[in-house]
Amino acid sequence: MSLRETNKSMRLRRTGVVPSDARVRHYDELDEETQVTVRELAGRPQTAPEADDLDDGDVVKFTDYYEVRAR
Amino acid sequence: MSDSYVIIGDGIAGASAAETLREEAPDAEITVLTDEGESLYNRILIKEYAKGKLPEAPISIHQESWYDDHDVDLRLNTVVVDIDIENDAVHTHEGETFEYDSLLLAVGGTPQQLPVGNADADGIHHFWTFQDARNIKESVEDAEQAVIVGAGLLGIDFAAICGAQDVEAKYLMRGDCWWRYALSEEGAEIMHDAMRERGVEPVFDSGVDHFEVDDDGHVEAAVDPNGERYECDFAGVAIGLDFNTELVEDTPLKTEDGIVVDEFMRTNVDNVYAAGDITTFNDLILGEQAKNGSWGSAKEQGTIAARNMLEYGSEEFEWVSSYSITHFDFPFLSFGHPTLGDDSVEATTAEGEWRRVALKNGKVVGGVLIGDLSPQSAFKQLMREGRDVSDQKQLLMEPGFAVDDLTAMTEQ
Repeated sequence: MSLRETNKSMRLRRTGVVPSDARVRHYDELDEETQVTVRELAGRPQTAPEADDLDDGDVVKFTDYYEVRAR
Repeated sequence: MSDSYVIIGDGIAGASAAETLREEAPDAEITVLTDEGESLYNRILIKEYAKGKLPEAPISIHQESWYDDHDVDLRLNTVVVDIDIENDAVHTHEGETFEYDSLLLAVGGTPQQLPVGNADADGIHHFWTFQDARNIKESVEDAEQAVIVGAGLLGIDFAAICGAQDVEAKYLMRGDCWWRYALSEEGAEIMHDAMRERGVEPVFDSGVDHFEVDDDGHVEAAVDPNGERYECDFAGVAIGLDFNTELVEDTPLKTEDGIVVDEFMRTNVDNVYAAGDITTFNDLILGEQAKNGSWGSAKEQGTIAARNMLEYGSEEFEWVSSYSITHFDFPFLSFGHPTLGDDSVEATTAEGEWRRVALKNGKVVGGVLIGDLSPQSAFKQLMREGRDVSDQKQLLMEPGFAVDDLTAMTEQ
């Protein structure tokens, strides 16, 4: 199970600069379920339940760099 | 007295084994030996560093303090020169001896050098370690022209690095398309176009006959077997790995293009295990021995090996791997064993979207998805289930394919 049982929702925001203190995760490191979420959210103004293996502020490398915003 | 575990290698396989051992055996003595000068880093992100897209810091996964905090004895820059199977001990280049109750070999591979003249010249790079990435970044930043050799998943990283650093490159390929063992020309052409957009020109039916060097021994051109000469300030070579089995050559450990292990990651010696790229493992899904070099597979193998080192037979390695390319504005993903099988089915499903599924005895054993990754989970599920799809294989090419589509067909 990779979706957290919290009320937080997550979105991905394209980012041009990756800070040195960011945790960066490559698509291949993520759980299969989280990969599906990343594919659905990348480049789209949508939200999804927060994934278990991503935290607010993480940066995901997919076809671009995306910052995780979990609220 | 607590059990002692020695792990050779601090890549993701060795490190995940150390983590698992510490979690599940709090009193165990754990030693990690690595010939590298830095602790675990993210090997799948070092290409992003070389592209100039990432700073160094996020690449690191385990700071050296992690090992102290978890009571793991980490020895950097330590080369194991001998494994004494009879006496349960390993010896290092500095004459140290580490005895073990159980040993894990996570020693990976070494990039192959082209067997051609001047292949070791200055300016010719291979890409495996973080230090390689630093050297490549430095070299590419000063380059205007490059040559790339190796039409596979690692070679394309060089193409992306050149593209990102505005270096014009010729990508010399022996066949008529990139990764010809897994893609047809139709699928590969999507990748070729993406390379061209970034200033990297694929050159087919080519390769390298020899390199030319200047008076300082720096590469200045590659000459292909057709006699064509390609000037370069930099060359990237990624033609495959030699697995680091020389360490076990004089031991009873069985090797076969790697160290042979069962589904529990155990070698033919009861207290010696292996994990990661180095293994030739019993692939329960494929039904035969296999190799896999993906990050996820290596991490899982390290975890499984650790659990079986603690209790043999406790957990099998059963895994469908995948590997993605995220250099372009469309995704690419290979899964399972796309170069194997006795049959395949492929289709262009939309503009810029292509897929191919490899089958063996009617069952999915791997594939490639370009542009649309949505069937990834369904295809992996079919692999895990060992479902015979030979009569319905064209359904796999339908946009929006789901496993239930097959069920519906079966029930009709």
